[in-house]
Amino acid sequence: MRTGIFIALAFVATGVFIFSGLYPMGADTPHFRVTTWALEILRERSIARASSEIKAPTDLDSADRLLSGGADYNDMCAGCHLSPGVESSDLSMGLYPAPPNLTNHAHVELDSSVTLARSFWIIKHGVKMSGMPAWGRGHDDERIWNMVAFLERLPDLNPVQYQILTARAPMQSEETH
Amino acid sequence: MNLVTKIATALGATTLLISLSSNAHEASEHMKDAQSPDCAAMAEMDHEKMDMNDPVMAAMMKQCMASDAHGEVATTGDAHQEHAHEAASTDSDAEHNHEAAAPVAAAVVEEVHQH
Repeated sequence: MRTGIFIALAFVATGVFIFSGLYPMGADTPHFRVTTWALEILRERSIARASSEIKAPTDLDSADRLLSGGADYNDMCAGCHLSPGVESSDLSMGLYPAPPNLTNHAHVELDSSVTLARSFWIIKHGVKMSGMPAWGRGHDDERIWNMVAFLERLPDLNPVQYQILTARAPMQSEETH
Repeated sequence: MNLVTKIATALGATTLLISLSSNAHEASEHMKDAQSPDCAAMAEMDHEKMDMNDPVMAAMMKQCMASDAHGEVATTGDAHQEHAHEAASTDSDAEHNHEAAAPVAAAVVEEVHQH
């Protein structure tokens, strides 16, 4: 009986808080540590489960994949996830949670096959409430794998290599016509 | 506006939106903002450290070979302007650019093989 009353009160209190408008929704006000912890666990466990069956193609280190993925990365990702020689952007500074700097080796914490599957899943499906779009709605799997292939080499690139690899050169123009 | 016209307008607008959204992320949609690869910068790289078996190097060579073939070698830091200049040039200018554009990729390949 007491437990029932306690649960009912908790629901009412939660409802009052939600409708009160007291929660600071601005992206410049960080979550409480416990909220960040809970959301990160939720995100990582969900992505790990959902991407566990994904198998990466064996030819990710091909030049064609790097060129296709590089051009797409530069057009669609670099504004938030940065490029070699660029330390920050308006988007990387303003988004909350801050998008990871993908030019940095530090983001790679998992073994290769898990990282590849995780990257593919995130690009394809996006991440709720983070600003990360679900690119799978406008891009087929092959194109997303090309971006994954490029991400694998991105931390090794210098600005000159990045510029050449990400330019939408005549070769790609011809392929689209 | 009668009911039939309203329905036709709504259907037309919906069809247009769907067709636009389905093409929004085609690679060709990005071409209008495309930069030429700055292949001239490759010539300044340390060729002794270049590994022709590295996919990054292979991709750079492929990109620059294609650009050489199109006479679209940009100069460092000025790729957009160079590209815009080429687009605005006369036929004779374009021909001149093609001849003047050093086949950087081919030269780099040759030098790397010599090493």
